[in-house]
This record gives sequence, C-alpha cells and structure tokens, in this order.
Amino acid sequence: MKEAACDLRRAQQVFWSLITAPEGVRAAVEDLTRDGALREREIDEIFADDPRLPAVDRLDIYANMYFYRLLDGLAEDFVRVHAAVGSDRFHNLATDYLLRHPSEHPSLRHLGRRLPGFIQGHPLREEFPYLADLARLDWAHVEAFDAPDAPPLTREALAHLAPERAGAARFTLIPAFDLLRLEHDVLRIWRDLEGSREGKSAQGARPDAAAGACAAGTDSRSPEAGSCAPAAGPRGPRTAPLRRTFVRVWRHAFVVYHRSAGEDEARCLEMVRSGESLARICQQLAAGRDPARATERVGRILQGWIDDGILAGYALSDQG
Amino acid sequence: MSQDAPPDPGASGRPAFLGHGVGLRREHFERVLSSPSRIDWFEVISENFMVPGGRALDVLTRVRERYPVVLHGVSLSIGSTDPLDEAYLDRLAGLARRCEPAWISDHLCWTSVGGHHAHDLLPLPYTEEALRNVAARVGRVQDRLGRPIALENVSSYVAYRGSAMTEWEFLAEVARRSGCGILLDVNNIYVSARNHGFDPFAYLAGVPPEKVWQFHLAGHSDKGAYLLDTHDHPVADPVWDLYRAAVRRFGAVSTLVEWDDLIPDFERLEAESARARAIHEATLGAARREAV
Repeated sequence: MKEAACDLRRAQQVFWSLITAPEGVRAAVEDLTRDGALREREIDEIFADDPRLPAVDRLDIYANMYFYRLLDGLAEDFVRVHAAVGSDRFHNLATDYLLRHPSEHPSLRHLGRRLPGFIQGHPLREEFPYLADLARLDWAHVEAFDAPDAPPLTREALAHLAPERAGAARFTLIPAFDLLRLEHDVLRIWRDLEGSREGKSAQGARPDAAAGACAAGTDSRSPEAGSCAPAAGPRGPRTAPLRRTFVRVWRHAFVVYHRSAGEDEARCLEMVRSGESLARICQQLAAGRDPARATERVGRILQGWIDDGILAGYALSDQG
Repeated sequence: MSQDAPPDPGASGRPAFLGHGVGLRREHFERVLSSPSRIDWFEVISENFMVPGGRALDVLTRVRERYPVVLHGVSLSIGSTDPLDEAYLDRLAGLARRCEPAWISDHLCWTSVGGHHAHDLLPLPYTEEALRNVAARVGRVQDRLGRPIALENVSSYVAYRGSAMTEWEFLAEVARRSGCGILLDVNNIYVSARNHGFDPFAYLAGVPPEKVWQFHLAGHSDKGAYLLDTHDHPVADPVWDLYRAAVRRFGAVSTLVEWDDLIPDFERLEAESARARAIHEATLGAARREAV
C-alpha cells in the first residue's frame, strides 16, 4: 500500500529529525537507526531515490537551508555577539542553541529570545565572560525595534501639569522601552563593535523565511555552501569590567537607542514601572540627601526622559 | 479552455488583475515611499509585518495608501499535521484588517511539526491523506479569515515514494476541494521540473485556468546536480519561456517578481518587472490576434 508507506505524520517527524541533525542527514540516518528512532530502510520507504541524486543528499539540501537560515537570523539579531566571538564560534553557539531551543514561533523574529540565558550556561562564556550581557543588550534592541507604538509625552503636554498636582502624577513608559541590569559594563565593547546599530534599527522589517533561500549546497553545513554572512574572526575582548551597569533601551522615531543610567535613575525607572507617584519617587531619592537637591535631581532625570521620548503619559491620583 | 483563448480577467471568479508587482523589501522602503515607481502593486511577507509596532508597519500603511498590497505568508504550514496555529491566524487576520490586501496567499507545503518551525517550505507527499488534510485546513483558514486564500506551489528537492499523483494534480485538487486560488510560481515549476525530471509544460496544462490568481517569477541557482530556488538572480531564460506559455494558457494574471537575496537597486527590480510586463502584453496580444 503506497499510502501506508507514507503516513503523513510519521513522514514529517522523520523529515524534521533528519534536517535538524547537526552532523548532516547521512550521519543522522545512522544515529537514528542505531537508536531505534528510525526503522531499517524507513528512509527508503518514505523518500523516493533517484540515480542522479540520492534521497539523503536531497534531504541535505533542506538540512543546509534549515541551519543557515536560522544561523543568519540569529546573526542578524545578535550583531554584536556575532562580531565579538567571530563567525566560527557563533556558528557553534548557534548549533548548540538550536539543538536545545528549536524555533517555536512562526516568525524567525522570536528565535533568539532564549539565547542570552543560554549563553549564561554555555562554555563560550568562559572565553567571553561578558557575552550574556552583550546578548541581552542585542536582544533588547530587537524587542524595542517592533514593540507597540505610542506617542511620547512632550514637554508641551507636561506643561499642562499644574505644579501643585505634580506630586500625584504617575508616569507611564512607552512600550518600546526596557531597563537592563547587567553584570558587566559592555557599553564600551558595544561601541567598539558598532557600525550597524542605527543602520539596522532604522531599516524596517527583518527578513523572515522567504520563499528564496540563501545558497545552500549538499556539503553538510559548509559555510561556503550556505551562509550569507562573510566569515570573520573574533573582535571582542576577552574581558570586560565586572561592574553592575544599568542600561535603558528605547525606540524613538523608529530608531532604537540605548544609554547607561545611574543607580538613582534606574531606581526611579523601576518605581515608575511599579506605578509609584512622582512624590514617592522624590521621597525615595531624597533619602540621605538634601531634599532640594533630590528634587532638582529628579527634575533633571525627568527632563532626560522627556528629551529621549521614553514617557508615554501620566495619570493623576490623589493618593500620592 | 484552449491554449489560444486565455480567459478574460475577472470573468472566472479570480481576483481583479492588478498588473505587475514586486516583493516589497526593506532595502527599497525609502525609494518606494519617496518617489513614483513603474510598479503596479506590492506583495509583502506577512510575518514581517505581524508585529505590534515599529517602522515596518508604518511603511506598510504608507505603501498601502498608494498601491494595492497582497499579503504573502511563509508560516501558515497548511500541510502540517500539527493543529492550526490559532494565535498566528489571529495576527494574520489583524494584519489583513489593517492593510486590506487584495488577497492573502501562502504556500502548499508544511513548515512545522511537533510545535517546532523549520522556517523553510517543506514538500508534501501527493497522497489522498495529505490532500484531505490540506483541504480541510484551508477550509478552516478561509472561514477564519472570511475570504478565500491562494496557495503557491513550492520548489522541491526531494520526493516521496508514496506519492500517488503528480504535483499539479495535487495542487488542482486542493483548489477544487477547498475553493482556494492558486499562486502559480513559474520559477518553482521550472526548478522542481529539473530536480524531479517532469515536463514543466505538462504541469501548466494540468492546472485549471480559472483557479490561477497570480504568477510568481524569480531567479534560481544552478548547483549542477540540482537547481536551487535562491531568488538572488534575474529570471532565467527558460523561466521566461515558461511564463510565455503560462500567459497563453491562463491569460491576464497578476504577476510578481521576487528578489530576496543579493537584492539589487530598485531600478533593476523595476526593469525585471517591466520585462515581465512586456512579455505578458506581447503574449496576450498575439493570442488575441490568433483568436481573431
């Protein structure tokens, strides 16, 4: 029975197992058969052979396209991580990552969500101790890039807030904003690896899986055959200052920015996120300092937020 | 329908003829928005715009104010044995409400299994089981979107021993059973014909003309033992020949040039689209004269 030999569910499971195996389809067939995950000759039952090109070589075309499309997607989202460790190490990192975290979303846009956490436990971190922090910053840019739109609070709109009521104001942040708390000061490394931050951020939609693929060959995952990205050696330093660093990341006018934040500004931002009133924020900041200077400092911080466009608005509450 | 008497556009239930379009890619956003073009319409990759906000959506809104737009998805996974992704369909429906596309298309393939996504267009076996599965899922998607969709034939590199019909018989039967339209990718027919050794003109002859809503044209790469659908070259001459035959058989069908890698400047892409337009018009003119 032809149909029995091509149970659709089974065929798709086998196809997936073969094209996602890191060592190529031929090795995967041997491994899966040895492990009992594939019956003897099952490949021959499912796939048509051809004297011009055996079925395993045909499946290898898909294996290459699978890996290199996802590798390129990760490299595009983690530009600085890629530049820091170089193409070879990034290739190996992506291989390990995809084995552990295959794509679970229809859009490639979400593929890298777990990479910063994955790097935390990856051997590559021994060579580049700051790499997880750099990855978090890369990923924060991705998240801000297409976060929901919201018009920022303008200086003119804020002028409508009567001074006597300002303490009751509870500010909201734009959706395209994040505050990162990093263990290493990676901003200098980022700048050194820079070159395409604004270029990418200003461009628009990221390329998803399109009908056309990067060139792929039958050689198992050979960069020459598959990858669109040029090979490059590591450019990142082996160390970075181990220093708690707050970084705010936001999008303004379709461009993603980041800037370091002092501890007091970070504390203010966390309070804004928690829905605290301006009066409470001023109180918190005044602890241990001159109240007038604390208010002045909050004023300067607020001014910076308005200038950068990270506030979306405010609500007034009598329970300051 | 004889090959010399192409159907009138709009007379067969297919969507209106949009003319000649290209795929909208981010490399061309500024150019498309800043000055007029010789392009009649744009196709966008749906998933690139199924996002909460940012520049891409803004660009899409502004492009849509000036041109017809078609949504072309790559992750519907209509042939998968996984359940349909309801969240994906929600986002697609939301995008369609936002940009009011002329139509929505995706691929006759599968892209996910076991909850994991390959982000590649994987071929189906041409069996009754796969046919039933696809037709039923297309019906549910169309109900959900409140409109018929079009499905595109994909380039393929491997075939299944259990296939009980040709690819074009499978495609035609999916369209017949589900009521969906066909996005006929002429380059994909040529690539798959070379890779599997079938006659591409027999493929055209096996597709019902009234079901064909759109043509795709693109470039491919010759890897020696096989052709690869790379979309990084101009359209190859044998594909132009096949396009002439497709226009003769299917008539005035909206045509789109795809170029997804090694993307040239917009003017080069316009030139490729203009070549398609010239062939289209010359072929239809000749067919009309023969009919007279």
